[in-house]
Amino acid sequence: MAARIARAGRLPAWRHLALGIFTVAAVVFILAPLVIVILTSFSAQSYAIFPPEGYSLRWYANLAAQTTFYVAALRSLILALVATAASLVIGTMTAYALVRYRPRGHSALKAIFLSPVVLPKMVLGVAVFMLVIKIGFYGSSWNLVLTHTLICVPFVIAIVAASLANFDWSLQEAALDLGSKPLPTFLKVILPQISVSVFISGLLAFVTSFDQVETTMFLMRPGESTLPIEMFLYLQRWQDPTIAALSSVLIVFAIFLLVMTSLVLGRRKITTLQTSAEPQP
Amino acid sequence: MAASSRRDGGAAGRAKAERSAWVLLTPMCLLMAVAFILPVGLFLLYSFYRFRGGRLEETFTLETYWRFMTDELYLITIYDTLQLAVLATLLCLVISYPLAYAMWRMRSPGLQKLIAFIVFAPVLVSVVVRSYGWTVVLADQGPVNFILTRLGLTSGPVSLVYNMTGTVISLAHVFLPFVVFPILASMLRLDPTLREAAEDLGASWWKTFRSITLPLTLPGVVAGAQICFTLSLGSFVTPAILGGGRVLVLPIQIYTATSDINWPVAAVGGLCLLVMAFIAVVAFGRLSQYSEAV
Repeated sequence: MAARIARAGRLPAWRHLALGIFTVAAVVFILAPLVIVILTSFSAQSYAIFPPEGYSLRWYANLAAQTTFYVAALRSLILALVATAASLVIGTMTAYALVRYRPRGHSALKAIFLSPVVLPKMVLGVAVFMLVIKIGFYGSSWNLVLTHTLICVPFVIAIVAASLANFDWSLQEAALDLGSKPLPTFLKVILPQISVSVFISGLLAFVTSFDQVETTMFLMRPGESTLPIEMFLYLQRWQDPTIAALSSVLIVFAIFLLVMTSLVLGRRKITTLQTSAEPQP
Repeated sequence: MAASSRRDGGAAGRAKAERSAWVLLTPMCLLMAVAFILPVGLFLLYSFYRFRGGRLEETFTLETYWRFMTDELYLITIYDTLQLAVLATLLCLVISYPLAYAMWRMRSPGLQKLIAFIVFAPVLVSVVVRSYGWTVVLADQGPVNFILTRLGLTSGPVSLVYNMTGTVISLAHVFLPFVVFPILASMLRLDPTLREAAEDLGASWWKTFRSITLPLTLPGVVAGAQICFTLSLGSFVTPAILGGGRVLVLPIQIYTATSDINWPVAAVGGLCLLVMAFIAVVAFGRLSQYSEAV
C-alpha cells in the first residue's frame, strides 16, 4: 500500500491532467451530436443555427401531424421484435450445438455462421432484392424477416457461445440423470445461467434490426418503409427540425433501453460489456 | 468435454452427439442457404451479365469487369471508399486509445462504469439520427464554426459538412464503441505486475508505456481497427447524409446502379467491396498474429 502511494506521488500531475482533459473532450465528442439534436428540436427557426434564436415546440407539433412516421415506427418495432426473437432462438440453438456437441469442424462452422457480419449490408440488401425479383417474391414480409434475422444472428451466436464456453455441464448432467427432459432442463438449468448474455445479444439484435437501412431499402414496397428509411428519405428532401424532434424522441427511447440494460446488468462489472462489441469474424 | 464422454462413452456416443448437433444446426443452415448463399450467388452471377441500351442482357461476358477497371469514375469510387475507411479508422484509433487508457487508469469504478455507458450509449441511437446530428454540429452556422469564429481562429465558416471531412468525423463517431471496448479489454487482460516491475526497476512512464503497455495492447488495437475498417467500407447512410454527393463510395454507387436497373454494375461494385473486405480481414488477421508474437 505504501509503495503504491509512493509511486502515485512520483507520477507527474500533468499527465493525469492531460488524460482527464482528453476524457472530457472525448465525452463531449460522443455526446455532441445527440445534445445538439435535442437543442435543435426546440428551435424556433426552420433551419439549424447555433445558438438558436428563440425556442418553440412547433416541430413537435409538426411531428405529431406526420402519421407516416407512426406507421413506420410500428412497422420497424414489429419487424425488430420478430427478427430478434427468431435470431435468439436460432442463434442459441446454434451456439449450444457448437459448444456442447462439438461437431466435426465446429470452429470452421462457427466462422461460416459469423461471416454475414463481414458482408457489406448494401450487398446483402441488393442481392436479396435481385433474388426476390427473379423468383417473383417481391413485397413479401418474409424477405425482411429472413434478412434481418441473418444480420442479427451472428451477435447471438458469438455472445452466447462465449458464455456457454465457461458453463459447468455437470449441472445439466445431474438434471438429466434425475430424469428431467432435455428441453425443460435447458430452460430451467442452462438458460438462467446464460440469461445476461442472451439479454445483451437480444438487445444488440433489436437495435441492429431497428436501425437497418441498407438491407431494407430495396425490399420494402414504396410507401411501406420502416422508420430509419422514412427518416433518411425525409432528410433527402427537407432539412427542417422535424427530424430533430423525431430524433429526440428516439434518443429518449434509447435512454429508456439503457436504463433497462443497467437494471438488468445490475452490479456486474463492465467486462460483460466487452463481449457485446461486434462479433469478430 | 469430459462430462459428455462420461455420459455417452465411445464412438456410439460420438455419433449421437454429432447427430444432435446437426439437428440443432438445421435452422441456421437453412437460414444461411436461403438468405445468404442463394442471393449472394445470384448476385455474383449478375456480374457476368451486361447492361446495354437501358436493358439487362443475360449473356455471359466480362465487359462489366473491364469497364470497372478502365473507367476513371469507378477507380475514383474505389479510391474514395478506401480513403474514407482508412481515415475513419485512424481517427477512431486516435480517439479510442487514450480514452481506453484513461478508463483503464481510473481509480473510481463508478466513474469507469459511467464512461463505459457513455461510450456504449450511441450504439442504441440510429445511425440516421447520429449522422443528422453531425450535419448540425459541423454546419456553417453550427456550434463548431461558432466557437472557431468567436475564438478568432477563422474569418469565415470552415466547410466541414457535405465533404470528406464531415463524413470521416461522423463515421469515426459511429464506430467508436467497437474500437474502445476491444482496446480496453486488452488493457484489462494486462498483468499489472509487469508494469510494477518495470517501474520499480526505475523505468520512466514513457519507457514502461512503450515497451510494455503498448506492445501488449496491440492485439486489441488490431481487433478494433479491423472492425472499424470493414464496417466503414460498407457504410452507406453516413456518406449519403454527410457526403452531400461529393463522397463517392462503393455502397452509394451500388445503390444508384440498382435504382437504375443496372444490376451488372451493382454486382461488380459489390464484388469489389467484398474483395476489399476479404483482403482487410486477411491482412488484419496477419497483423494480429504478428502483434501477439511481439
